[in-house]
Amino acid sequence: MSELCNDTDFRKALEALDDLQQRQVAALFVQHVLALSGDKRLERVLKTAAEADATQEELASALKSAHAVTFDNHARCGAEGNWSDQAGYFVARAAVAATTPVTQARAGGPAWQAAMSARMAYTSSLIEDASNRSAHAECEWQYQALSDYLNV
Amino acid sequence: MSASLEKGINAFKRQVDSTVAAFFSSCVHCGLCAEACLFYTETGDPKRTPINKTEPLRRIWKSEFTLVGRVGKMLGLSKKIDDEFLEEWQELVYDSCTLCGRCSMVCPVGNDIALMIRKTREGMAAAGQAPEGLVGATTRAVTIGSPMGVKWPALQAQIKHVEEDTGLKIPVDVEDVEYMLLLSSMEIMNFPEFIEAVAKIFDKAGTTWTISSEAFEATNSGIQIGVSDIAAVLVQRIVDAADKLRVKTVISPECGHAYTAIRWDGPNLVGKAFNFKVRHILEVMDDLRKDGRLKIATKETRKLTYHDPCQISRRGGVIQEPRNLINMVSDNFVEMPDAGKMNWCCGAGGGVSANERADEIRLKVFERKKAQLDEVKPDAIVSACSNCRIHLEDGLEEYNMDIPLLSLTETLAEHLAED
Amino acid sequence: MTEIELLSWARGPGLQIATIIFVAGVVIRILEILLLGRKANLAEAKGGEMSGGLRTVFTRTVPDRTTFKRSSVTIVFGYIFHIGLFVVCFFSAPHILFLKDIIGFGWPSLPTPVIDAFAVITIIALLGTLVNRLTNRVMRFLTNFEDLLTWFLTFLPVITGYVAFHRIGLTAPSLLAVHILSVELLLVIFPFTKLMHAFTLFLARWYNGAISGYKGVAS
Repeated sequence: MSELCNDTDFRKALEALDDLQQRQVAALFVQHVLALSGDKRLERVLKTAAEADATQEELASALKSAHAVTFDNHARCGAEGNWSDQAGYFVARAAVAATTPVTQARAGGPAWQAAMSARMAYTSSLIEDASNRSAHAECEWQYQALSDYLNV
Repeated sequence: MSASLEKGINAFKRQVDSTVAAFFSSCVHCGLCAEACLFYTETGDPKRTPINKTEPLRRIWKSEFTLVGRVGKMLGLSKKIDDEFLEEWQELVYDSCTLCGRCSMVCPVGNDIALMIRKTREGMAAAGQAPEGLVGATTRAVTIGSPMGVKWPALQAQIKHVEEDTGLKIPVDVEDVEYMLLLSSMEIMNFPEFIEAVAKIFDKAGTTWTISSEAFEATNSGIQIGVSDIAAVLVQRIVDAADKLRVKTVISPECGHAYTAIRWDGPNLVGKAFNFKVRHILEVMDDLRKDGRLKIATKETRKLTYHDPCQISRRGGVIQEPRNLINMVSDNFVEMPDAGKMNWCCGAGGGVSANERADEIRLKVFERKKAQLDEVKPDAIVSACSNCRIHLEDGLEEYNMDIPLLSLTETLAEHLAED
Repeated sequence: MTEIELLSWARGPGLQIATIIFVAGVVIRILEILLLGRKANLAEAKGGEMSGGLRTVFTRTVPDRTTFKRSSVTIVFGYIFHIGLFVVCFFSAPHILFLKDIIGFGWPSLPTPVIDAFAVITIIALLGTLVNRLTNRVMRFLTNFEDLLTWFLTFLPVITGYVAFHRIGLTAPSLLAVHILSVELLLVIFPFTKLMHAFTLFLARWYNGAISGYKGVAS
């Protein structure tokens, strides 16, 4: 397996995964940023997403739960925006992506969408952060995680 | 009389022109406006009759601008206007109205009641009677540049993310281009995919465009709270940036009131015609479609319906364009009842969603939209306003309805031809 | 005062005074509106103001389907009495003769049974609007003294006209005097009430259509 070091290849590799792999890789990505969300419901959602034997009903229920978390966490129009809270919103979005069936997923598939939302969550957490941590750290981690998953 | 009440009364007076006078002179108390307003139809509370919401302005018009009213005032017969009265009306003017304008379409004598309520807000705000949430949003808009406190570095971070996701460069502060894109704080915070979608569409169409780091905010809280001076300050920022970059057209994004503010109110607020055009993103995409520069490769198979955002459709004039665009990407597009200029409001615009006190009524009036959706039974709802989108999602979740909300711009981008 | 003297007064000085007050009042009310003016629109237009305004003056006469379904009683009764008033006022033989005296020419009248029918329908419709006003939740909330007064001022001429024409009750001259006086009462109070909508609705509808037409919306 060659070293993945750019988004074009990364995305291609993700899209080439089968349905179960998409779900499990997506769950990996979300798990990595889970700490940015305070919502306990997402832990259960991720458990289901990572589970190879999860049934359709369990996944549908997890998806519903993840959706509910996004509704509770999105910024209200006109309210003072809080980027730390927004990080939680994007973690929930990533969880939604992870539990969305492949046929209904947005462009790129569940794993790619989860990766993007997870990165957004990380970026959001940095916005109010004075330190100089680079947003790129998250994609580096994602590349490595996918590599490890495929090489196992 | 308190200082704020005096300011309020003066503000009310400044709002009275020949249109206001013609409207108040013609009202015959027929009550048809109530049946057009979702805040009445879903609550059954006659206080929420649209024309009733304008009572503060009416009292000023009567007692200051009509002979019979002035005589009445001299004789001590006119109805009083004091802080208590205005406070009582706050909930009607702000919590129970989105300025959707459906009442203005049905009044048999032709009253533009939504305009009258908008004008009523000017007096209410000057008298210190605007809801807390809106005051906060407006203060942030003026001091920080965004009602939600979104600053340029935050948008920059979003832009970087979008560039990674798409592989495209987002042009910032580029001069002499065709378009300058504005964004609403809601889109920046909740739907960064919108920026991606625009970038992809413009890239394929070969359009030159930019975002300005000095004026990227589209939302105009001044319009929602009803303080024209503040609305003017917010518009002027955009004008200055657009003039500086010498762009031909400013694009208003998927946000309802932003369009009204910049397209129709803007030049009147700042007192000067613009040197550039203003178009809604839907109008721009429809132009691209007409020019053959918007090529669609795949289609949506889900049964789609379109929710008309009030400020874009009925009050904005962008009614046919979204339909042309949806028809490009769908063979399964079904209109809901009352679609088009008579569509029902989602219930969250005009500052209602920024006002926590109005949360309960906002969810209650969603039942009107629910009734429309129950009739058409779509697989997905397409719209072009982030606030409508969030509120509809809220409402659908509340009523356990599993219908996804799609942004029209994002949907088009998803089905773009790769060449 | 004898009934003949009353009738002479009603037809003569009474009518003159009422007409002067009516005309002066209407003119003042309209000037009060127009002199306020409105600011020019500096935004780029998408449609025409004049064409939009004129269109709405006419199209606003026809309610859209959903509105009609929700407010059919108000709309139907409203239309019936307006049309009824128009027919009775301008197509009954005695009224045409009366107007001919003033403006110099007349026109064909409708047969008495037809006018009678319209008068009765108008009376029923007016009573219907009153009941509606007092029972419909929204109308009851909005209704004030002026609404009831104007209803009464409108109803009185119709009923007294019918009674006078059919010589019911008092003698002919008295009945006629009462009818003419009721019209004069209406004329005198008209400019100070919402009855002005008869004139100002053309302005209001035009403004509405102009504002929307500017944005390319047919309202």
